[in-house]
Amino acid sequence: MIAKKRNLFLYFVFFLILIISIIGHLFSGQINISFSDYFDSIFNFDSENMNQLIAREFRIPRLTMALIAGAGLSISGMFMQTLFNNPLAGPYVLGINSGSSLFVAFTMMTGLSFFQTDFGIITSALIGALVFGFIILAFSLFVKSHISLLLIGLMLGSFTGAIISILQTFSSAQELKSFTIWTMGSLQHVQLSQLPIISIIFILGIGLSLFLIKPLNILVLGEKSSVILGLNIKTIRIATIGITALFAGIITAFCGPIAFVGLAVPNIVRSVFKTQSHGKLIVGNIFIGATFLVISDAIIQFLEQWIQLPINAFTSIIGAPLLILIVLKRLK
Amino acid sequence: MITFNKCEIGYKSVLVRIPELNLSAGHIYALIGANGSGKSTLLNTIINKKSLLGGELFIDSKSHATFSAKELAQKIAYVESKFDGVEYLTVEQYISLGRAPYTDAFGRLGEDDIKAISDAITILSLNSFKDKYTLNLSDGERQLVAIARALAQATPIIILDEPTAFLDYGNRIKLIQTLTKIALQENKCIVFSSHDIELCLDSSIQILIVNQQDKNLELCASDITKKEILRIGFGI
Repeated sequence: MIAKKRNLFLYFVFFLILIISIIGHLFSGQINISFSDYFDSIFNFDSENMNQLIAREFRIPRLTMALIAGAGLSISGMFMQTLFNNPLAGPYVLGINSGSSLFVAFTMMTGLSFFQTDFGIITSALIGALVFGFIILAFSLFVKSHISLLLIGLMLGSFTGAIISILQTFSSAQELKSFTIWTMGSLQHVQLSQLPIISIIFILGIGLSLFLIKPLNILVLGEKSSVILGLNIKTIRIATIGITALFAGIITAFCGPIAFVGLAVPNIVRSVFKTQSHGKLIVGNIFIGATFLVISDAIIQFLEQWIQLPINAFTSIIGAPLLILIVLKRLK
Repeated sequence: MITFNKCEIGYKSVLVRIPELNLSAGHIYALIGANGSGKSTLLNTIINKKSLLGGELFIDSKSHATFSAKELAQKIAYVESKFDGVEYLTVEQYISLGRAPYTDAFGRLGEDDIKAISDAITILSLNSFKDKYTLNLSDGERQLVAIARALAQATPIIILDEPTAFLDYGNRIKLIQTLTKIALQENKCIVFSSHDIELCLDSSIQILIVNQQDKNLELCASDITKKEILRIGFGI
């Protein structure tokens, strides 16, 4: 009972922190935009007003993307950590980001686009994530142990890494630069018109995740015990990988690979809420994951007047020491 | 409860043969045999992790092969020789996972589930540490908690793979007494593998030995001596 009250209190605290960081994000840019401008930009938009235009076209999409990417990557990281029973697993452990990177590299550095549209890079990244998601799903049908699956994912990563290196040697300086910038991740390239589709997929992913709560709760006991409790390991594996690919795929497509969030946040959530109940962990990951990326991006936005920091570098700078701190605390 | 008919059990070659045997409710059976004699394989066959090489196995006179995973989980509970505990998993949460075969898609606990969980906790007198983390228990406590999880599963059959292997002598005696009590009071069919021949002989446990020579599984008479067990099972 005490634990229940404690967790409710924690949810409340983290929700407050999330709200505060959202407000902080909205007002951390170089140009000061008032609350009423934000309000009008959504409900009473005047395209002549510069501030409203910035709010609508840049700030709000960027904030929304930070919320979705933080929450989505954290949830999928948690899924992978439970599935592989390994706190070092993350959303990219199965090579979903490798797929995106490979296809984006092809698009950028060979001029050979898979889809000649305005946002060819996004479609390439999305297709890459889906293709690699399916490859790993296909493997998961035949592979018996989770460890072998993990190794296959890592090998896919090395393999694509090698191909990308080869592509890089043939590409021009300009192509190389734009690819490198893509790999650094960015929340700024999302457009308002793309938000509905991203949001719908995100909400769909959350809805599907609810069906993983029970199987993952059982899976912490190990594969053998889970089977004996009536769990179909293969179905669960496919469902978990599928939902992770959905989250990681859509986020990587629009933001590039964002490091560390999906690895650090689920570990933080587990040690803060001290539970193995995945329903509670999902809520915790949404709150803390979103907060983590919103704060990171708010700081980046604030520093933009002096320096352009890539989100990838920044999440690692905050995330790595945080994770070390947790590990040290746990070992005590 | 569990009926074997001309069963052949093993991996590529046959390790254990069971021409005919019926294990019934309200009884507890200790499975004894040398290392590598196929005790674990036999238990794995009963829980359907391993299929039979030949013959037929019936649970409640229904063929073993026709059960779905969920149906089987409502018939047989299984306790591994060692439960290591899971970080941040409390005893009560762990025991509640035993209700998985009965709960809905989201794992929500109903009244029946909550009652089964609290009954299991009461039967094993775990009330004082139900809020503890499973990682912070002693080996003996953890084994009791694992048995409580199996009890919460409310199955007529409980299978345990060497449940006493990691316990000290006092805890071994207590565990075997607890299992015997549960078999009688809750009318369950309990089968466990063990090397504690003396402890099993001292209580009202029926002994199954894998005959070392012809690989047949023998149900021993209640007045069997340790000497005979050693001769049949270990060739000493």
